[in-house]
Amino acid sequence: MDYLLLGELAINGALVGLMYALVAAGIVLVYKTSGLANLAQGAIAMMGAYLTWAVATGLGAPMALAIVLALAMMFVVGLLIERLALRRMAGQPVIMAIMLTLGLEIMLRGLLPGVFGAAVKRLDVGIPQAPVFVGELLVNRATLYGGIISAGVILVSMLIFNSRLGVFMRAVSDDQTASWSVGIRVERAIAVAWGLAAVTATVSGILWGSTQGVDWSLSLLLIKALAIAILGGLDSIPGVLIAGLIVGVAESLATGLIDPLVGGGTRDIVASVIILLTLLIKPHGLFGREHIERV
Amino acid sequence: MTLNRRDFVAGAAAIGLAAPLPLGRALAQEKVIRLGMPQDFTRVYTFVTAEYSQGQRDYFTLINDRGGINGHKLLAEVSDHGNDVPRAIEAYERLKQQGAVLIDPLSTPVARALVPRALQDQINMLTTLSGRSDAADGSVFPYVMPLSPNYWTQAGILVDFFRQQDKDLKGKRIVLVHIDTPFGREPLPVFQALGKKLGYEFQAFPYTPPGNDQSAIWPQVRRARPDWVVFWGAGVGQTVALSEAVRNGIRMDRVSSSVWLSESDMEVAGKSETKGVLKFEACAGGREPKLIQEILKDVVGKGKGAGPEGKVGTSYYNIGVMMAAIITEGVRVAFQKAPNGPVTGPWLNEGLRAITNFTAEGLMPPMTSTKADHQGGGRGRVVRWDGAKFVPATDWFTANQDLVWDEIRKASAEFKASGK
Repeated sequence: MDYLLLGELAINGALVGLMYALVAAGIVLVYKTSGLANLAQGAIAMMGAYLTWAVATGLGAPMALAIVLALAMMFVVGLLIERLALRRMAGQPVIMAIMLTLGLEIMLRGLLPGVFGAAVKRLDVGIPQAPVFVGELLVNRATLYGGIISAGVILVSMLIFNSRLGVFMRAVSDDQTASWSVGIRVERAIAVAWGLAAVTATVSGILWGSTQGVDWSLSLLLIKALAIAILGGLDSIPGVLIAGLIVGVAESLATGLIDPLVGGGTRDIVASVIILLTLLIKPHGLFGREHIERV
Repeated sequence: MTLNRRDFVAGAAAIGLAAPLPLGRALAQEKVIRLGMPQDFTRVYTFVTAEYSQGQRDYFTLINDRGGINGHKLLAEVSDHGNDVPRAIEAYERLKQQGAVLIDPLSTPVARALVPRALQDQINMLTTLSGRSDAADGSVFPYVMPLSPNYWTQAGILVDFFRQQDKDLKGKRIVLVHIDTPFGREPLPVFQALGKKLGYEFQAFPYTPPGNDQSAIWPQVRRARPDWVVFWGAGVGQTVALSEAVRNGIRMDRVSSSVWLSESDMEVAGKSETKGVLKFEACAGGREPKLIQEILKDVVGKGKGAGPEGKVGTSYYNIGVMMAAIITEGVRVAFQKAPNGPVTGPWLNEGLRAITNFTAEGLMPPMTSTKADHQGGGRGRVVRWDGAKFVPATDWFTANQDLVWDEIRKASAEFKASGK
């Protein structure tokens, strides 16, 4: 057995997992605040990447400025999604709101390539292509930078949830009526959560866009993100960090160890198996809170 | 004078009803040859379709402005099937009703689904650099027309190029990184058979479609220490493969692709980082070929271009021009054989299967189609990315056709026996 190869696969898998975890963090942010599973997170990541590309190439802005502008615009997009779409679903069954986010995902996946052109676009954020060697181990520089930045943004999200704003968000998540009664502006807390989720999605879209190019396939990040959010626990941000590492390493090792035996194709099965097993064995995930209703 | 709503609606309705009449008569009077171009502009083949279609339409405009062929205009009916088989069948049936004598779906799954209909309805189906490789056997697929080197030929030519470079492939290792679909798996038998014949070791690494994450594949490729790497996919799968090859420190001058790699892919992966990458080429790229120059002057220059001027001369644009030129040559030969038509599928079929040494004024290698060989001879060349454009690394040539035709006959015999 080639242990060096396994080492490379594990390290690169962990870094890729952290990049997926950032998309999942947005799903958790929305779920923690509003109790909704946001199935549009992949398409929002794609939208953030398209916007960054459009600002950088269309307006000729330097990449750093394009990223800042795109993040600001996507924060507003998140607010608008909540204000114009989700808020209108108040009083409707939760499943209808979830279906709305799925509809948004499908619409953006069709609309954005139509608006910006379907060809893959280059998004150069200045990460060098040359590999990094640690002894004999090769570390993919794009995923190294991507993993570190993703972990950083997830840690910032954790800090936000421990701030005054985060306490409001958690309170809203626990009991919206009680939050109202103590003067917390519930709609604003939920809207901010959507805005922050759009920002994390955009950072993720930019990182993945710089790794693979920008096109519709960025929306496929949703599947991996869902697996990570479910495994980590839909209401746990530290959970996505750990689950991201687990899913990333598992996928990478499966590709290296099982693919040669079965002729390929195991990478995507790993995510679906993780979703199924988690829901069957530990429905609230590794770090999710169990909700106990007293009757 | 004022116009009330009732008069306005009545007037609009009258205009709406009357307007098509003279137009319809005009179309009926004009002699046209209908060519159906239902293609995928919105889903999977988006990486190629827009430029390919632009090249086709610009070429037909060039020919029609010069009076057409034998007084007949070539009418390309372009629509979007979105790589969706039911939509493609609907488009095919509509075009059949309208009298189309050729269909060009530019999609492997759609072409595969349409094969029985095309054979039964005797409508020529173009399968440009796609579709079934065994359709090269004209005796089994009389109405399926690749008229371009199939994937087996492309694999055979690439391996022969490797042999030319290394003198001998014995003991060498060739790795194929491919999308895990029927299209991606298509070249496997040729790489394996040539491995046995030439003595190289062959290893395949499939990746899950669409191929946007290949991060776990390329460390394995690097560890396999290949002498040559071939990557075989389309769209985002190609740009990711190329980027990952760079990130994993694979030597670019030992990396090559099938025909589906374009200038825009190189831009995404990094023009300078990918310097040296090889690919198979079925027709010359760039703006130098005479036909492209004529299109620039007489079509684009007169504001009649079908798309952005910047795309004229890209690899996929020129493939579109090449295929339109082949169709036109088929029409010309059909008129030579039967000047009075009637213009039907079988009439055009006689022309498409009797093209001799056609080069589209130097755009492509000499192509000869017969009732037995629908591939047209299987010539192509290998080109190398120089950081700005693809430049020829070889002259036009063909290789390993004995082995390729073994595969073609084996697969076509299977189709003949089972219909699959």
